[in-house]
Amino acid sequence: MKFKTLAVMATAMTMLTSGVALAGEVVWWTPNFNEARARELVTKFEQANQGIKVKLEITTTDGLPQRVLTALQSGAAPDIIDVQHAWVNGYAQNGLVVAVDDVLKDREDYIPASLDYGTWNSKLWAIPYRIETHAVIYNKGAFKDAGLDPAKPPQTWDELVAAAKTLSKGKVSGFAITGGGEVGNTIFRSLPFIWMNGGDIISADGKKAVVNQPAAVAAVKFYTDFFKNKQSPASTLENDGTANRRLFIAETVAAYQSGQFDVASIKKENPKIDIGVMQIPHPAGKPTAALLGGWSFVIPSSAKNQTEAKKLVAFLAEAPNQGALTDTFPARKSAMSLPRFSDPILTVFKEMLPYGRAAPNNKNWVQITQAYFDGIQRILLGDEDVQKAMDGAAKDIQALLDQK
Amino acid sequence: MDRNSTGLVFVLPALIVLAMLIAYPVAYTGLLSVTDRQGAFVGLTNFKAVLSARATPQAFWNTIWFVGGSIVFQVILGTATAILLNQNFIGRGIVRSITLIPWVVPGIVAATTWAWMFHTEFGIINYMMTGSGIIPEPIGWLTNGNTVMPVLIAINVWKLFPFVAIMVLAGLQSIPNDLYEAARVDGANFWQEVRFIMIPQVRSVIVAVTLLLVIWGLNSITIIYAITRGGPANRTLITPIQIFRLAFESTQFNQAAALSVIFFAVALVIVIIYIRALASTPGEAK
Amino acid sequence: MSDASTLKRTGLPLPITIIGAVIVVLICLFPFMWMGVSSIKTLPELYTVPPIWWPETPTLGNYYKVLFESNIPRYFLNSVIISVGSTFLALILAIFASYGFARFDFRGKPLLQSFVLIGQLLPTAAIIVPLFITLRVLGLVNTYWGLILVYMIITLPLSVWMLTSYFKAIPVELEEAAIIDGSSRLGILFRITLPLSTPGIVAVIVYAFVTTWNEFVFALCFATDSSVKTLPIGLAEFSTEFNTDWGAVMAASVVMTLPIAMLFFSMQRLFVGGLTAGATKG
Repeated sequence: MKFKTLAVMATAMTMLTSGVALAGEVVWWTPNFNEARARELVTKFEQANQGIKVKLEITTTDGLPQRVLTALQSGAAPDIIDVQHAWVNGYAQNGLVVAVDDVLKDREDYIPASLDYGTWNSKLWAIPYRIETHAVIYNKGAFKDAGLDPAKPPQTWDELVAAAKTLSKGKVSGFAITGGGEVGNTIFRSLPFIWMNGGDIISADGKKAVVNQPAAVAAVKFYTDFFKNKQSPASTLENDGTANRRLFIAETVAAYQSGQFDVASIKKENPKIDIGVMQIPHPAGKPTAALLGGWSFVIPSSAKNQTEAKKLVAFLAEAPNQGALTDTFPARKSAMSLPRFSDPILTVFKEMLPYGRAAPNNKNWVQITQAYFDGIQRILLGDEDVQKAMDGAAKDIQALLDQK
Repeated sequence: MDRNSTGLVFVLPALIVLAMLIAYPVAYTGLLSVTDRQGAFVGLTNFKAVLSARATPQAFWNTIWFVGGSIVFQVILGTATAILLNQNFIGRGIVRSITLIPWVVPGIVAATTWAWMFHTEFGIINYMMTGSGIIPEPIGWLTNGNTVMPVLIAINVWKLFPFVAIMVLAGLQSIPNDLYEAARVDGANFWQEVRFIMIPQVRSVIVAVTLLLVIWGLNSITIIYAITRGGPANRTLITPIQIFRLAFESTQFNQAAALSVIFFAVALVIVIIYIRALASTPGEAK
Repeated sequence: MSDASTLKRTGLPLPITIIGAVIVVLICLFPFMWMGVSSIKTLPELYTVPPIWWPETPTLGNYYKVLFESNIPRYFLNSVIISVGSTFLALILAIFASYGFARFDFRGKPLLQSFVLIGQLLPTAAIIVPLFITLRVLGLVNTYWGLILVYMIITLPLSVWMLTSYFKAIPVELEEAAIIDGSSRLGILFRITLPLSTPGIVAVIVYAFVTTWNEFVFALCFATDSSVKTLPIGLAEFSTEFNTDWGAVMAASVVMTLPIAMLFFSMQRLFVGGLTAGATKG
């Protein structure tokens, strides 16, 4: 009880002394890649809502989770923060953000998986505005050189394995997987394979680790075998998504999984490459799958101007504004009809969206994925075989699930 | 009695600043370690949770290995460099300045530059070594379980040996010339001078610098975090990074606080043992 | 004086010295040179397999971007203000504290001395949140003073520690003579002890300045406004979500490292000069 009193006192003191920001000035943290578009939207909003001033603070993705957490925990946060979908649940369960059910309009217009992320305890804690999934980007020229038909990319696992084998010659690696960088890179690329095969990392009720069951193990083996059979570069264990793109641009990788954001930089840095995009191959007879990623707005519990913040979020959530702000796709279906999303190279990425699923909402999800990723790295290092590594991961994950 | 209070007055301003910035964080961390997310008292639950994690003992040994390995080479190379830079040669001033560059470069820049140089595909190091035939094919320096820790230690040594070098050099320069002259009268050669004059005279500097290196090493996050984040498969996970990741990647602030308390206690014990051991060493009075 | 004495020394054979010096220089400089070369490469040239030694079309575009199209100049100014301020404050506090520890005996001295060092042992990650709250209470978030104060935690303990040993090494007899002459303690500190401790002072300045100039984690968490962000944070800003502009990062690294290297170069003489002065007096 005493601790609570202390906490209350601390908060009270903080509130007393932190009246620095002007009343009515909404502080919005948005990442640097949004800056230009965010400024335009802010101008529009301020014109429509005289009396509300918006202050943009530009954040960088490097170290953003730490900064957001520090701000949220300190009890002196901005009014709106752009965060990745997967972070929201941790904030909600720690009581760091406020529910935004009253802000959401046209629920049925949103891609359902995007709302799954922000939902906890049957309330909505974030408004998604941007979504994306991966597809497989491939080098059509490399396909031709290897005697493959670039117009008919592989569709099933077996076809992908065969193609990767044919493509891997000399300095070229057929299909690059990730095994390094931040955990998310490898989760994004390997978890869909587990899902397609009917497996998962944890059971749907969040009580049991199932990553060592046959469906998951087969998918992990499929994924890691690309490295074992030398179809993924020697540097796989240090490669994240960006590194794979670099290697693709350097034409030493013929195909890899990524999102549409890579296309522009490939075109810019190596215009010679004829870029192809295919759906992520699936086991024969089963549908493909992808992990849905993207960004949402949250309103911190300690925000000083929550009413104004909600107004701004509601404004930003309108379909045309989502369509303007997003770097990839908007979370609302109606915004998808905007001309900027009609580029043919985006077709396959768009086709993948309905297969996109949300990662499970578990308060220990980051640690769970870390345990799983450690298992993957043990396989790649050659320390353990797939079954043993996944048994170890399952044991660690079970311990996390059993924690209260 | 007068001496008493005067000394305290001199010391007080620094103490007040430090107390303000340290006492509260320490108390708050202690509080977090025995409560849950909602602030309710939970006893030792957080401690049990961290101690039972598979990564914790591994991180503990990695820390010892990383700190110990770094210090040995930092001290040896730093002292050797200091002796070298104490010689008389043309361009000595420039060489001395250049030696300090690794220490001056921001940790985050050094880490990314080295990671870049050690990259399996784009890295200049593999290119030079395969080109000159030292190794037959590119090595995954940062991904091979056997090379990653030595490489990180090497980078850490590169970053901090200059600091040892300047400190020892300062010590060397304060050695009175009479000592050398006396040794020369006795017909001592260079190596004997190193052994019987330089090393004993800078011993106290080395001892002090080593303590610093222990403290820095136990707290170093930047280099490992920027390069491997503790991977692959926790091969380079050291306790400070485990704390950082628990807090900021897993949002387990309470467990992170519990681990901090344990870590702080262990670090304190190590430092106290070190200082005690020094205090009991004869001839350390100067 | 110093020239005459160094001539008399025996030493390493010159060739060995030269070879050793060349090796040391190469080891220290190579990554830095690679950084410099990378900073004048275009992005595609940075990512070629195998890497190229010298760019075909060296470009200053990265520097242009850093100096004219980014916030780096402003961050540079912030870094200077914060580093100078924090170094100065640490130096003043450390001089008094160290003198107190070196020249006086008082109750609880060992305890207080350990307390000063303990600050250095705190796990950075664990104290960020409480520190942030402290700064908030003091109204110092996003101010120069906030970072200047926070950096005391990092720099002050070691500065005190270094200076204490330097002060201890100065013979007490010199001061005792002055006491007999009737000088005050402060007078002695400033007229006798400090001039004899130049190397120590320079070492503290250099240490505190470099440490604060390079600090990343605290700056990242406590400076969220571009009016107080420091250079290392500026480096991170060249990384956007899916791309790191390596050329710009390398150019910014050069911009960030050069001034401090120059500072060192100029300090070098003072450093050595101070040391020899101290040595001959001893």
